[in-house]
Amino acid sequence: MRLRRTDTGLTLALAALITVATHGIAHAKAAAPASAKVCQGCHGVHGEGNAPAAIPRLAGQSAEYLRKQLEDYASGDRANPIMKNFAKPLTHADMEALAAYFSTASAPRTAIPSTASAADLDFGQELARQGSEVKRVQACDSCHGPDGVGVLHAAPYLAGQSAEYLTSALTSFQQRTRKNDPGKLMTSVAGQLDASDIAAAAAYFSSLPSNAP
Amino acid sequence: MVQRLKEVDVVVIGVGMVGSIVAKELAAAGYKVVGLERGEARFTVPQFQSPAIHDELRFDIRKALMQDNTREAVTFRNHSSETALPIRRWESFLPGTGLGGSMVHWNGQTYRFQANDFELATRTRERYGRHFLDPDVTIQDWGVTYDDLEPHYDRFEYLLGTSGKAGNIKGQVVPGGDPFESPRSREYPTPPQKEHYSGAMFRKAASGLGYHPFPQPSSNLSQPYTNPEGIKLNACVFCGFCERYACEHFAKSVPQTIILPVLLANPNFELRTGCQVQRINLDSTRKKATGVTYIDAVGREFEQPASLVITSSFALNNVRMLLLSRIGTPYDPTTAKGVVGRNYAYQTMSSVASFFGEDVFINPFMASGASGTLINDFAGDNFDHSGLGFIGGSFIGAVNTNGRPIQYHPVPPGTPSWGKGWKDAVVKHYNHTVMFSLHGSSVSTRQNYLDLDPTYKDAWGQPLLRMTFDFPQNDLEMAAYVTAKAVEIGKAMGAKQVAGSPRKGPYTTTQYQTTHNTGGTVMGSDPGTSVVNRYLQSWDVPNVFVIGASAYPQNASWNPTNTLGALTYWAIDAIKNKYLKNPGRLVSA
Repeated sequence: MRLRRTDTGLTLALAALITVATHGIAHAKAAAPASAKVCQGCHGVHGEGNAPAAIPRLAGQSAEYLRKQLEDYASGDRANPIMKNFAKPLTHADMEALAAYFSTASAPRTAIPSTASAADLDFGQELARQGSEVKRVQACDSCHGPDGVGVLHAAPYLAGQSAEYLTSALTSFQQRTRKNDPGKLMTSVAGQLDASDIAAAAAYFSSLPSNAP
Repeated sequence: MVQRLKEVDVVVIGVGMVGSIVAKELAAAGYKVVGLERGEARFTVPQFQSPAIHDELRFDIRKALMQDNTREAVTFRNHSSETALPIRRWESFLPGTGLGGSMVHWNGQTYRFQANDFELATRTRERYGRHFLDPDVTIQDWGVTYDDLEPHYDRFEYLLGTSGKAGNIKGQVVPGGDPFESPRSREYPTPPQKEHYSGAMFRKAASGLGYHPFPQPSSNLSQPYTNPEGIKLNACVFCGFCERYACEHFAKSVPQTIILPVLLANPNFELRTGCQVQRINLDSTRKKATGVTYIDAVGREFEQPASLVITSSFALNNVRMLLLSRIGTPYDPTTAKGVVGRNYAYQTMSSVASFFGEDVFINPFMASGASGTLINDFAGDNFDHSGLGFIGGSFIGAVNTNGRPIQYHPVPPGTPSWGKGWKDAVVKHYNHTVMFSLHGSSVSTRQNYLDLDPTYKDAWGQPLLRMTFDFPQNDLEMAAYVTAKAVEIGKAMGAKQVAGSPRKGPYTTTQYQTTHNTGGTVMGSDPGTSVVNRYLQSWDVPNVFVIGASAYPQNASWNPTNTLGALTYWAIDAIKNKYLKNPGRLVSA
């Protein structure tokens, strides 16, 4: 029971609603704190990320999610030597300010042509929307929202995120170097996927337009 | 024209929780097993996935996962003097249909009954005297004891991966668990789910009153788990869509997540869906079953011969299958003779709502089906009933569950039932109310029973099951007593207003209570008062086993699923290790 990748009418309508729900209540644009300069070096002036380098887009990601990642880099629950160096010296207030800034940042997305095959993108979409009984994974969109737009307080957006970054994030859950998922949910899911499943899901989400401003 | 199929070793009627387990065990032991399921095949992917599965109108209001009562209903009346009418819309109880059965839409509450429950008649007489109860109450012992079932409870809980905290391991009381529970051989497979704020408030208040709070045992799992069948489950995400829904996260223990992948991979097993079994066929002696007759989804009639027939459908349908097949003597309430349909019992549900100010946030939408905090101080025989005039009790628990927008609107008594006043009250109280669930026992009585309806038939022309039921006075008195205790806990929590709703009669099928219908093919040691023996084998036709909550002689203070899982493993052990080695009666009458 494959879904067609072009079957997006209702989903887009739902996505628009959820976008309003999650982003409509975002705070007014926060000013860039001085400490943001360091982030901007890699994540871009507007938090647009650097897709080929697996550096994620931060613009419009929820402040709650971004703050938690900074805390978890600092504590080691999300193991990453580079981010640990940056996160460790930050105070709680610094983290709050950075998260607030990037959550309201605008960064037009530069689409990067995907090298994934149409079959991979189709399979990625199937995992995203429907999951797999054989792999025993639920639809990514169950938590990440319709077409991966993200759900405030629950799960980050995936739509328009760097495929390289998504691959690295899923692999880090799989290898348990990232242990900051409630209920080990992403650890369970990633553990059921193989490298080609991960590549397909990452390519699919990366191919979607970002809902972020 | 009836098509006669090739004989198999075993035919299983209903591939739900019980059917999946027995079929898996027998297929693994090398027997050819056919599973006949009237509903459709369905799996976590794609059928249970969101957003479709979170459609409250479709699943909650229109009951999409339930038995199709335009084709197969149950008729109901309160008293045998009345004319029963078909239940056109399920409300009071919700029998499921389809692969995985009613367990697919359960809440995951996974309690054991207590040792006392299995010897209720004897122990009640011993403790309170021979004349304590109304002579119309027909409670009886089960013919099995808690000690018989303990290893099977254990096996079933480990199949499910149940999340909880033991209160008594091998006779040693364990802090943090339920001190009233009968001894278990080891800890739960996974730790309890997280406690809600409402549960924490309940815990504090109940402890302050000298009671013994513990975390609700849940089969919506607290962490990833791999069961002894090698199947992996995920942790629950507290989405709040459990009861009446299927779980999209592989996090609720249902046949699809605990056993069906292993069963369906076994070539000794064949699943046939869309098959409506009409009857179990008997030979001319009427002491031996020869198989079953069923009609498939396009109306073709088949005879499936089998050496062993196991009926493992929903409790009410087990009873109906025996009545339609004329196995055992139907119960007659005027003479109190006969056994099939006798001792139908239910569950006596009450509730208490505690209304807080707008500075207390409960977040009822954030829940699993069993993430509560409870006490058993007023359940079963855990308190002295001397002078009270009733037996039984209820657990009391603050259970955040099912806080969905269409169905969940707690408002204080006196609120208008519609219009602006009602809407304002819903907005004001939705997020600031703690609901207690009071889950009460149900005694069986001479007047409450099941039989075949003389008027109404199903889509295949067979008589519907007729239910004759009202709440026994014993249970209404119990509900009033325990509800008053629960109101005191709500007050001790500091609620501004506490509203107790003890269950009151008459019983109505138009208001949801619970799907814990029990009895009708009860187990026991006397063929005069039971349909099946202690191994759930028919007294009359020894190659028929009837496995379901229909075997319960009366219902206890807890949800029945775990006990049914234990009985299933108990029965299948007897079938594999005793019956199939030497087919015949396992207990002499």
